[in-house]
Amino acid sequence: MSKKKLATVWLGGCSGCHMSLLDIDERILDVAKLADIVKSPVVDGKEFPEVDIALVEGSVTSDEHHREILHIRKHAKTLIAFGDCAVMTNVTGMRNYFNLQDVFDTAYVNAASNDKEGQIPDHPSLLRLNDKVVPLQDVVHVDFVIPGCPPDADTIFYVLFEFLNDRIPNLSKAKKLKYG
Amino acid sequence: MNKIPVIIDDKNFEVDPHKTILEVCREHDIEILTMCHLKGLTDIGACRLCLVEVEGINKLLSACTTKVAANMVIKTQTERIKKYQRITTELFFAERNHVCAVCVSNGKCELQNLGYKVELDRIRYPHLFPQCEVDTSHPWYVMDHNRCIMCTRCVRACNEVEGAHNWDVMNRGHQVRIISDFNTPWGESTTCTSCGKCLHACPTGAIWPKAIVQGQLEKNPGMVNELVERRKMKL
Repeated sequence: MSKKKLATVWLGGCSGCHMSLLDIDERILDVAKLADIVKSPVVDGKEFPEVDIALVEGSVTSDEHHREILHIRKHAKTLIAFGDCAVMTNVTGMRNYFNLQDVFDTAYVNAASNDKEGQIPDHPSLLRLNDKVVPLQDVVHVDFVIPGCPPDADTIFYVLFEFLNDRIPNLSKAKKLKYG
Repeated sequence: MNKIPVIIDDKNFEVDPHKTILEVCREHDIEILTMCHLKGLTDIGACRLCLVEVEGINKLLSACTTKVAANMVIKTQTERIKKYQRITTELFFAERNHVCAVCVSNGKCELQNLGYKVELDRIRYPHLFPQCEVDTSHPWYVMDHNRCIMCTRCVRACNEVEGAHNWDVMNRGHQVRIISDFNTPWGESTTCTSCGKCLHACPTGAIWPKAIVQGQLEKNPGMVNELVERRKMKL
């Protein structure tokens, strides 16, 4: 069996899901026997390549994330929404209850720690926030979801190991379904 | 009292008449999912999770408000019921802002447990993301409307057990809200006795004491029925 290609991506989230991924500890060696991690915040690499499995953390919050997730969908055979933000927006989506301009003002202009000269950053190289944060499934087809904030390392390893062995995991049957 | 025969999930039972389908099922360890039911309070059939199929009736009936009748043939675990339970649960999550990660009730929440039971891994409906109030005006407790599922267990516990009737319901549809007195801050209530029964009756992290933080909420919903039973003994 040839080695699979695995990618992990960090969109609008806190990277906690990636921390939990690292918590699979020495079991990363079992993953490495079956797959090469070709793109991830923790490995080098520029363009997102063709992969068998993409674990995508975080929700879609900006124009940049939108482009990225469309690109990933085209190049990944199996796209997995990784963590509560990717699955149901979670904390990232808490700004959806408010007007975007109010959110910017609160963070950059009216914050208690501000020196009264606060400005909303608008450099052309910066990403543009979308009005509303949406989960991955609102933009692209998602093949599998791992909810949890963050998902437990055991759960992540279970899902990866099943997919790498060409099996479809079942979180509910494995008693690994969890939110929060 | 004469018992009556009923068939539940292809098994024969002799049961007391005047009992609801839910009571009979719980007595016989047949699992029925509920959110708005709390033993000791009047059942109102609000959450629609306890729906069962009864032979000869086309629509699904809520087990908590339907009494058993002789020779009733009841089904509790059909694919149709499971489908609706999953939809109902997803709509609970989509209607308000249930962010488990920052909730006091995380890990001990009846809504989370319900999600696991109906195997909910994602929500297929668009979230409404309503702007909900968090009433922190009471000296000890908080009412967070983001996490409320409108089971009205707090309303019934306050009205039927404490007798204060601080809580009530206003508006309809997705704008429906629990209110204190005539929609005034909880801290200014002239009826609330600060007894805390609503807090224990609440299945989620919507009502909680200020002294705790994320994931620390310990509730004892059984205390409501305990009180009700003890009062019966004194009579």
